[in-house]
Amino acid sequence: MRVPLGTLFGARSGDKGGDANIGVWARSDEAYAWLRETLTEDLLKTLLPEVRDVGRYELPNLRALNFVVRGILGDGVSAGTRFDPQGKALGEWLRSRVVDIPDELLP
Amino acid sequence: MIRIGNASGFYGDRATAWQEMLDGGPLDVLTGDYLAELTMLILAKDRMKDPDTGYAKTFLRQLEGFLGTALDRGTKIVTNAGGLNPAKLREAIEALASRLGLTVKVGHVQGDAVRPDANAYLGAFGIAECLKAGADIVVTGRVTDASLVVGPGIAHFGWQPSDLDALAGATVAGHILECGAQATGGNYAFFTELPDLDHPGFPIAELRQDGSSVITKHPGTGGAVTVDTVTAQLLYEIDTPEYLGPDVTTHFDTIRLAQQGDDRVEVTGVKGSPPPETLKVGTVALGGFRNSMTFVLCGLQIEEKAALVERQLRGRIGSDGLEFRLARTDHPDAGDEQRASALLAVHIKSADPKAAGRAFSQAAVELALSSYPGLTLTSPPGDATPFGVFRAGAVPRGEVRHVAVLPDATTVEVR
Repeated sequence: MRVPLGTLFGARSGDKGGDANIGVWARSDEAYAWLRETLTEDLLKTLLPEVRDVGRYELPNLRALNFVVRGILGDGVSAGTRFDPQGKALGEWLRSRVVDIPDELLP
Repeated sequence: MIRIGNASGFYGDRATAWQEMLDGGPLDVLTGDYLAELTMLILAKDRMKDPDTGYAKTFLRQLEGFLGTALDRGTKIVTNAGGLNPAKLREAIEALASRLGLTVKVGHVQGDAVRPDANAYLGAFGIAECLKAGADIVVTGRVTDASLVVGPGIAHFGWQPSDLDALAGATVAGHILECGAQATGGNYAFFTELPDLDHPGFPIAELRQDGSSVITKHPGTGGAVTVDTVTAQLLYEIDTPEYLGPDVTTHFDTIRLAQQGDDRVEVTGVKGSPPPETLKVGTVALGGFRNSMTFVLCGLQIEEKAALVERQLRGRIGSDGLEFRLARTDHPDAGDEQRASALLAVHIKSADPKAAGRAFSQAAVELALSSYPGLTLTSPPGDATPFGVFRAGAVPRGEVRHVAVLPDATTVEVR
């Protein structure tokens, strides 16, 4: 079913200088297996077209993926003119994007 | 076990949190983080105006209210509120205590300022030296946020630099605590599931000898401590799973979380390995001056309206440092004016405070009767403000002199 990613997954984002990170986590092993398989660097770039240079790291114990988005915040929070200069809402933006999630994973 | 709380996640966090945490239940140590990258810039601006400042002034005001309670309860205070000037904050605390008629032992940590504009991220052993020497309050400048929790762990359990797993476990507890209520339901993706987020409690770590911990909060406070709220905070502002720190490299992929009861999450299994040979350094530099004006564009032909403003402003003041960002918050055929409107933010950055000042904001105002239909601005014209650029670098450990200045003013160099 096509639903927002945030129906099933949590996220939190923030800044480190000119980079941002977006952590995404699942609340069951089954949902994490799907997330790990599906949310690739390429899909992230499709969902958040502003993202260009990204690294993806797996944290299976936390059922989480961490994306490090390089350069998205320019010279950092003080100099930034981006709408959200600290990238605080990147995670919520990602959660609002609609994706195909298998019905059996949905509540 | 040692109970360590947090009462501040940034310079500007809830002013009453220190008192709430002291009154809410027993704590051995209460910590407060004040130093984000942005804060270092704010403090640098303060210090340019007055060389005796450069620390988080709000902490001193808060302390005036809670110092007596902290001393009565025997709760030690550890904070990086010293910012760019920990020695001056220490003096100010000693002056405050004497004015209040209280006896307090203060220690501070210095040596992070490797250059006037550059601060190394120090570790936790300087804080531990001050606590072992009997300090009631320890103030630091730039230490890693987690060090505020790791330091009390070292002082209490006697950890050595080689106790890497314990240091890594405490670092994880510190990372969970460092952003205050972000561990207890603040900024939490599934916030609608929490019964009461009106006034979340601040987090507490019950830290054990082996570096494992239980994360909790005081009874009766809002928010929640669940595997999910803790996971959310563990994912905040991290890079690769090898979390580099001055005392230990913490392997975030080894963290195990388990719900132990209501508002209790156990953190175990954390592995550490030796830290890098270099320390992270944050450099702040004045980048120039900036200003912004926002035009409200309502109704039809939004793109054409934005293009007209852009052409007019570029024609009047030139294009140097100008940036136009159109937010299409408008909806067609909307039943209220706000939903019918888009926002065009115009930013300017310049080395010249005048060019980014009234010359810019007044030029925007001057369009009021000469531009697109329905022109309105969200603010009156203002002056430019300075902005900083933050850069991260590295410095060899040997070039940093990490010093604990104990309550009796003797100094201990930390290796």
